[in-house]
Amino acid sequence: MRQRITYLQQPQDSVDPKLLGVTSNTISTKKLDAAREDRVTFGFDELPQELYRVLKASHELHVRWVSRDAYDTISPLVSRLSPGLHAFYTPQRNSNNSSLLCPTLKKVFGELDCASPEESFTKLPVERFSLSAATQYYSPLSTLNELISYLTHKLCKNTDAECLSRVSKLNSASTLDVDFDTISHALTITAFWPYQAWDLSIKNTANHRLEVGILTVEKPTQPEELSLGGFLTVVGEDTKPSPTLFSFPARHHPTTQFFSSAFLSPTGLHPTLELDISSSKAPIEEGSCSIHAHLTLPRAIFADKYQLSDSLFLASKNLSTIRYITTPVDLEAPAYTMSIWGSSLLLELAPPKPKDESWTAQVPLHLRYLLPNEGKYGQERLEIPYPVVFWACTADEGSKFPINPFDKVNLGYESLFGGRTMFYHLDPVPQTTDGVEGGELINTLSVPVLDLGKSKYVEVGTAVVVTLGFAWVLWCLFGVWRREGYGSIKKGAETERKNK
Amino acid sequence: MSRFFSSPFLVFSSAIALRVILLFYGLWQDANSPLKYTDIDYYVFTDASRFVSQGLSPYKRDTYRYTPLLAWLLLPTTWSSTWFSFGKVLFAIGDVVAGWLIVLVLRGEDGKKMGMERALKFASIWLLNPMVATISTRGSSEGLLGVMVISLLWAITKKKIALAAVLLGLGVHFKIYPFIYAPSIIWWLDNEQVNPEKAKSTKKKGGSIVDLAINFCNGPRIKLAIISFSTFMTLNTLMYTLYGTPFLQQTYLHHITRIDHRHNFSPYNTLLYLSSSLPFLPPTTTITATQPAVNLNLESLAFIPQLLLSAVFLPLLLAKKDLPSTMLAQTFAFVTFNKVCTSQYFIWYTILLPPYLSHTNCSLLTTPKLGIITLTLWIATQALWLQQAFNLEFLGLSTFVPGLFVSSLLFFSVNCWILGIIVSDIGRKVVVGPGRLNARGESETRSVVEGRGGGRGKGKR
Repeated sequence: MRQRITYLQQPQDSVDPKLLGVTSNTISTKKLDAAREDRVTFGFDELPQELYRVLKASHELHVRWVSRDAYDTISPLVSRLSPGLHAFYTPQRNSNNSSLLCPTLKKVFGELDCASPEESFTKLPVERFSLSAATQYYSPLSTLNELISYLTHKLCKNTDAECLSRVSKLNSASTLDVDFDTISHALTITAFWPYQAWDLSIKNTANHRLEVGILTVEKPTQPEELSLGGFLTVVGEDTKPSPTLFSFPARHHPTTQFFSSAFLSPTGLHPTLELDISSSKAPIEEGSCSIHAHLTLPRAIFADKYQLSDSLFLASKNLSTIRYITTPVDLEAPAYTMSIWGSSLLLELAPPKPKDESWTAQVPLHLRYLLPNEGKYGQERLEIPYPVVFWACTADEGSKFPINPFDKVNLGYESLFGGRTMFYHLDPVPQTTDGVEGGELINTLSVPVLDLGKSKYVEVGTAVVVTLGFAWVLWCLFGVWRREGYGSIKKGAETERKNK
Repeated sequence: MSRFFSSPFLVFSSAIALRVILLFYGLWQDANSPLKYTDIDYYVFTDASRFVSQGLSPYKRDTYRYTPLLAWLLLPTTWSSTWFSFGKVLFAIGDVVAGWLIVLVLRGEDGKKMGMERALKFASIWLLNPMVATISTRGSSEGLLGVMVISLLWAITKKKIALAAVLLGLGVHFKIYPFIYAPSIIWWLDNEQVNPEKAKSTKKKGGSIVDLAINFCNGPRIKLAIISFSTFMTLNTLMYTLYGTPFLQQTYLHHITRIDHRHNFSPYNTLLYLSSSLPFLPPTTTITATQPAVNLNLESLAFIPQLLLSAVFLPLLLAKKDLPSTMLAQTFAFVTFNKVCTSQYFIWYTILLPPYLSHTNCSLLTTPKLGIITLTLWIATQALWLQQAFNLEFLGLSTFVPGLFVSSLLFFSVNCWILGIIVSDIGRKVVVGPGRLNARGESETRSVVEGRGGGRGKGKR
């Protein structure tokens, strides 16, 4: 097991190294204003048996969980994903045994609507040298409580107070990542906490490597680079923090722009998601930039790629083109008969003339029929995670983006762009207009469904009316038959004549 | 006005002008508005054609649920953006041709059955109908079915058996539902129709079931059955060889497996939504708790009244009396009792309205009050449904029950009532009136005289 704990500070808050207390196995200080990232790497032999069995059948597995509570990012950890639990998975080539994945995910993370990778996951486009996983899954999981209790029981020994407190801290984390791939043969868990004041006191209990960094964002020399300076301490080895300053080219960058999203009302069965974006100006002058929205749509709601193919229609919504949509997306099935998680959609937006003014884009979506309910007046509440909005800019010819120590890959959208693309992320601002859901990166809408409380007589009503209608037509036919028989009318006239 | 309807030139140029204007208006709207005039289905057809033009299967296009013939037919739409409208032009031409065939059918074999003016007036129900013109110029293929059905009717009344059989086979391959015309045409095609003289001579022979059966299997019936079935099967085999299971799945099997839960005019709609959800509902809901464990699956029995009426009783009791009106009644019954019903299906019977409405027995026209009430109810119940659907679809109100449920049952009841009127009209003896014309193709007086004469003649023998 290896651990890396990084505190990231704004320049004005940067800590005085003299205030850092370093002993033979601890590091401590008071009131450290910083964001924090914990990264713990496990070897195969350190994992519970059930996890080991799942990972052995995986080529790669990346789980990304994002809190629905809005949070601020900090360089270099600026990439974003829609809130909820995302999984990106490639099974081991010669192993058909993916059946353990869903049960294990459920056991670790809690109640997920996951049957098996074949049934519940969607395929991602796989290019020859693609870095992305083959399949994708999403669930709107809102808390990590199940994970915390799982880790508490399986990872920490009862007496290990340090472990227990570290694990319980996860309930305030904003993001959590679990990464595994066959090449590294190791499982990494990474958690992120946004900017806050920390009373730092970390103890290296076991004899594992534990590195603590306290870093400040510096001004980079190159536009595609990020620069960090500060102190690194290997707890248990170093006796004092060693200063460091390093720069690296990064794919993900922050911007000062922000956006919010909301459904236009009334939503009906064809709701429109409106994105309100603070600026139509590209974040960098050089290079070509275009702004994109990446939507993660649970199965109850979907976009119709055919509707989104007409340029006039797209232009009227300030959209430019569909860059990617999960295929296939069933355009007709009711939500309750489907087992696939949903679909994701990458849209290029068409901002009006570049100005530092806010503008909107509308994404037309469609609802599936949902299960009938009762006692809710025929309405069902649906939660759709906020999309991710970013500018994608092409870096200079010759720019290379080697993996940097803070890189996050497998976000579901970055592999849809070329290798020289840089992402400038807009901060999501929760909608406050409806006043109900303050602070959550969730769009809610109310979907009309059949009210079971009123449906008692549907079956018998239909049967009675159809039978009566059928009987009425039969009665009319019977009248015809009695008067004129089944032959032509002439014959009828003839028999009548004969009878006389 | 009467001068207008007495001139085929005026009526047809108006019909063509209407479609040309709509076509160009559609082009303008498509080019200038984000709201498209062109029907969504048209994009489905033309996308499918594009796949075909690339040597691929039309079923690569999601929701393409038609015969590959349609995609082939629209191949010119892939040539250029100007040619994109080819299909709409084709459908519009089909419309006008169908209108001409209505005139031919109305005027009868020798053109004496009905005056041109009257025939044009009734054909205008189709030709100058804005709904029909809009549907075809928006690029919906339902009008194409109209041409097939009316040419089938024209061919069979002209006793062009082979042509009628091919059209029947083709129609069923295209959209399945025209199979209901097979029993009525076969039943109608008795010896009386085929060979009136022979009919009289064989009549007296009849007795045993075997004789009846042999008698039943006259040449034209056998010819019709063999040719139509082989046309149908040849097309299916060809398409299956070319496109395999997706062809079977999308054109035919889909109609069996589909759930059809989304709201439409069908009386079964709410029930289908409810029953499709039952297996997935939590066991705690009152409906799953109170319902018997075995679901009656009433909706799976829906085809029984539909097929009994449209394919058995209506043909059997009415076809020999008046084939065109019977075909109308069958189509009306099929659409009314169907598990899915959208306004495009109304086109299926609109094409057959003129022969029935021009019939002297048509009480909807002979009793104007009845006609007005019928039309008002038909429109009012539909409007009620549409309003409920609008509230659901655009305002998000849960109008499934009672709104949509009750209005679809009301609309269904009105349709059944209309069907009853049509049935009774077909089965009524021709009203005698000087100079009026009946459905069978002769002038009223003539048919009555002949009928009596024939009857007497038979009676004597």
